[in-house]
Amino acid sequence: MAILEIEGRKFDVDGDGFLSDPYIWDDDVASLIAKSDGIDSMNEKHWSIVNIIRKHWEEKGMAPMVRTICQESGIRLREIYELFPLGPARGACRVAGLPKPDGCV
Amino acid sequence: MEKLTDEKIQKGLEVLRREVGSKLLTHVNSCVHCGLCAESCVYYNVEPNEHFVPAKKVDIVSSVYRRYYSTTGKFIPWLTGARKLDDATIEEMVDLLYGSCTMCGRCNKHCSVGVDIEYLVRTGRAMLAEMGYVPETLQKTVDAAINTGNNMGISTEDFVDTLKWLEEELQFEVEDDNAIIPLDEKGKDIMYTLNPREPKFFPLSISAMAKVFYAAGESWTLSTKMYDVTNYAYFSGNLEEGQLIAQRMVDEMKSLKANRCILAECGHGTRSFRWEAPNYLEQGFSFEVETSVELLAEYIREGRIKVDPEKNQEIVTLHDPCNLTRSGGILEEQRYILSKCVKNFVEMTPKGTDNLCCGGGGGQLSMSEYNERRMRISGLKADQIRKTEASVVATPCHNCVDQLIQTNAAYKLNVKIKTLAEIVADAIVLDNENEENIS
Repeated sequence: MAILEIEGRKFDVDGDGFLSDPYIWDDDVASLIAKSDGIDSMNEKHWSIVNIIRKHWEEKGMAPMVRTICQESGIRLREIYELFPLGPARGACRVAGLPKPDGCV
Repeated sequence: MEKLTDEKIQKGLEVLRREVGSKLLTHVNSCVHCGLCAESCVYYNVEPNEHFVPAKKVDIVSSVYRRYYSTTGKFIPWLTGARKLDDATIEEMVDLLYGSCTMCGRCNKHCSVGVDIEYLVRTGRAMLAEMGYVPETLQKTVDAAINTGNNMGISTEDFVDTLKWLEEELQFEVEDDNAIIPLDEKGKDIMYTLNPREPKFFPLSISAMAKVFYAAGESWTLSTKMYDVTNYAYFSGNLEEGQLIAQRMVDEMKSLKANRCILAECGHGTRSFRWEAPNYLEQGFSFEVETSVELLAEYIREGRIKVDPEKNQEIVTLHDPCNLTRSGGILEEQRYILSKCVKNFVEMTPKGTDNLCCGGGGGQLSMSEYNERRMRISGLKADQIRKTEASVVATPCHNCVDQLIQTNAAYKLNVKIKTLAEIVADAIVLDNENEENIS
């Protein structure tokens, strides 16, 4: 457990900075986590990716495949890595308030 | 941390009992406390504190061994530095062996008397695993592999959908509807494997390898049942779980009747299967096992694929994964590949078998508990990369790729991280491209 402080707001997070309680998440929290990764302002594409991930996790309990993100958002794979330089897992899933996915990520 | 019980102590000591033999005896009794290992360790380099000297790891396993298995340690433990297996010892073992070691083996190489420090770390981890002290996050990754067949819990349906999607992209890229990604086909020459992070989040390396196989006209397949090249039980130290995962790969090779098992770019996956599995399965392989790094070099050397270095103009440096290079001796193949596929290749310092760990090895990437330390030690790698002035870092290990992606962001390196397959795929000259050039 650790505390992540962004612009005066404090969040309980795991060692990797993923929210300990995914249910405190909302749009403001997403914007703040994105800021801590250097994404100063989330654009339409960022939101589209984050909302797909969040919806999928709420329905199925896990992060979607990157294929799902690409096909549902219409954003090309290479652009996803540009939008979230840390990648879909440590980048986009963290902004979407999910717990850290297992494995080599 | 859960309290220690007599039952747990017996389980932990059983690991040492099982291991007793000339190898264990040699390594628990040989450290001369010269301290040369200190400077070889990435943890010690970043924080020169006694706690991080690799000899401390040797010492804690050796002192427990002495307490229970040597006469002097049993009767006069205070004179021999023998240590009882109690809660304090366990807590220190967990922090030293899981929390302060990437199992990179650089200390082994620098040890003045040749102690296999990494082997003792693994033995200590095996004791902790038997006693139930594997960090929760690491165990979750092992559990996912055992319960779902891959360490990210990807369903077969999701896996197949992703591969079909990549196949369409491949056909579009090479302009040929016959370019395919074969699934579960029996009797092919090669069964290829993947790190689950590829289909889940980073499939460019799958597309790249599929393009290479297409260009080489290879007879290959992927299994939808057992494609996961990783074996995190190698990191947790749980022998039975490690055996189970490795046995699945052996069974799937036999079921698909393939001749060669080609391991994806994954350091510990290669080590845990190719070099360690015959030991813990107590049987040799009845098929060939090779890494995709060796296969890519073979394709280029034998002219099965044509590559043009002019297609990769950026300055590329190479990060040698510890398990593949220092432990496995795969040293020249990656350099040969880069010499043929990129225009500007620069080495980092140190390199090869003396390279510094990226910081993500030993299961560190999955253990959130030690994230702060992991990102601190990655500063050494950041410095190495920065000095090369390269804009691309190539590395044949998905685990290293992920650590390097984070290092890139944390230390603002502004580089791209690529697998070797991606670099080779970018350099490939397809036959139809040739024809266009000639006409």
